[in-house]
Amino acid sequence: MSYDKHDSHHVNYLAVFLVLCSFTALSVVFDLMSFENHAVTVVLVMAVALAKALCVMMFFMHLKFEGNWKFILLAPTTILALGLPMALMPDIGVAYYTPTAPQQGEWGEQMKEYRAAHAAEHGHGEDPTGDEPPSQVMHEEEHSESTEAYNSSD
Amino acid sequence: MKMGIPIPNPKLGMWLFLGTEIMFFTAFIGTYIVVRVSAGEKWPQPHDTHINILAGATNTFVLIVSSFSVVMAHAAMGEKRFESARKWLWVTMVLAVVFLGIKGFEYNGKFNYDILPGRIAETPTQAISKVDRELEAVVRGRLSMYTNEAVISNPRPDDLSTVVPQLQTFHQGGEPAEEMDAELAAEFRQRAATDIELFQKWKTLHEHIVANVSLIALKSAEISSYRAARNELAEGDRLPELSFNEVKAYLADMKANESYGASVAADVFDPQPVLYGNLFASCYFLMTGFHAIHVLVGMILFGLALYQGTQLNERWDNWVENSGLYWHFVDLVWIFLFPLLYIAS
Repeated sequence: MSYDKHDSHHVNYLAVFLVLCSFTALSVVFDLMSFENHAVTVVLVMAVALAKALCVMMFFMHLKFEGNWKFILLAPTTILALGLPMALMPDIGVAYYTPTAPQQGEWGEQMKEYRAAHAAEHGHGEDPTGDEPPSQVMHEEEHSESTEAYNSSD
Repeated sequence: MKMGIPIPNPKLGMWLFLGTEIMFFTAFIGTYIVVRVSAGEKWPQPHDTHINILAGATNTFVLIVSSFSVVMAHAAMGEKRFESARKWLWVTMVLAVVFLGIKGFEYNGKFNYDILPGRIAETPTQAISKVDRELEAVVRGRLSMYTNEAVISNPRPDDLSTVVPQLQTFHQGGEPAEEMDAELAAEFRQRAATDIELFQKWKTLHEHIVANVSLIALKSAEISSYRAARNELAEGDRLPELSFNEVKAYLADMKANESYGASVAADVFDPQPVLYGNLFASCYFLMTGFHAIHVLVGMILFGLALYQGTQLNERWDNWVENSGLYWHFVDLVWIFLFPLLYIAS
C-alpha cells in the first residue's frame, strides 16, 4: 500500500500560530477581568482552551486533512475519557448529601478567627469581625450542622 | 482489495499510542474536575497555593511556539530541506528546556512554601500542630550538637527532657565529661543558654497543645502517648487553649529573637491553613509531573533525530512526523492544564 507522505494541503502555520498566541492572551485577559461570577471566567477560559486544542489538532496534527480513520481511532478513547468524570460526578462532584469531611466541619468552626488574623496581616479588607459573605456563611453553617448531625447519629 | 487503515504503520502506531495517552491524562484531568466541582467555593485560591499565573501563561506560550517549530521542522523534512529541519528541531529543544526551567522555578516556589501533598495544614488547629512539630525539629536540631560526649556526658539521648537538665548544669558552670578548651567551653555555654531558652519556648507551646488537643482528632496510634504526656503535665489539662492568632503572634515573637530567631525563621513556616490544599497539591504535582515527564520523552525523541547531525535525511521523515504528533499532544495537554490549574482554581 502506498501513502501520500506529504499531503498536497497547504496550511499557513504562521497564521495558526498567531491565532494560538491570541487565544492564550485572551485566557489571561478573561482571568484579569475578574467577573463577579467566577464560573463565567471558567467557562470562557475553557472555551478558549477548547478552541486552541481544535486549532492544534486540525492544523498542526493535520486531522483536518486525514481520512475517516481518525474517527474510528479517536472515538472509543474519547468516549472512555468522558466516561470517568461522568461516572464520578453524580456522587462525588455534585453529591445529593452534605459532605462531612472532618476538616470541613473544623474549618467552619474556626474560620472566623482565622479570617480575622488573615485580614489583619494582608489588609485584604475583610471585616475584622470575621463575618463571612452570605454564601460562605451558608456553607459553613451547613457543614457545622451536618457535622453535629453526623456525630449525634453515631 | 486494500485492507487496513490507509496510513503508514508508524503513524498508526503513534495514533494508537496517543489514544491511550488521551485516556491516561483525561483520567487525571477528569478526576481533578470532579473534586474541584465537589469543593465549590472552598477550593484554594491561587495565592494560597502560590500559583503563578504569569509562569503558567509563559509556559503555554513556550509550548505553542514549540508546536509551531515542530510543524515547521516536519514541513521542511517533506521539502527535503534537512538543514532547515534541524534548525527548527533545535528551536524545539531549546523551548522544551525553557519550559522545564520555568516549571522547575514554579516547583521550587512550592517547595519553599511547603505546598506539598500531605504537608499542608487545612485548618487552624492543624496549622498550630504543624508549628509545634516544625519547632520541635528545630529544637532537636540545635540540641543534637550537645550530644557529643566531649561537650556533655550524654551519649545521644533521644528525649529532649534528658538533655536540657544536663545543659542547664553545663550552662551554670558544670564541667564537660572531657577536657575542653576554656574559650570553647565559654562559647558553648553561651549557646547553651540560648538553646535552653528556645527549648522552654517550644515546651510552653507544646504543653498547651498537649493539654487541649482533641484525642478524637488524633491518629489512634498517637492517642496513648498524648494521654500519657497530658498526665505528666504539672497543670494537667487546665492550661488554656491557645488560639490561632496567639500562636501566630507567639511564633512571630520567636522569629524576631536575636539569638535563635534565624533558626526558627529558616525552618518553621508561618501558619496558614489552606482547606483542600493537600488535594490540590496532589492533583497539581501528579498532572504537571507526568506532563513534565512527557516533555522529557519528547526531548529524547528530538534529540535522537538531532544526533544524526548532517546525516538527517528522508529516512527520518516518519520519525520527525510522529515525534511531532507526540509533541503536539503534549502541547494539547498543557492547553487544558493551564486554565484548569491556574485559572479555574
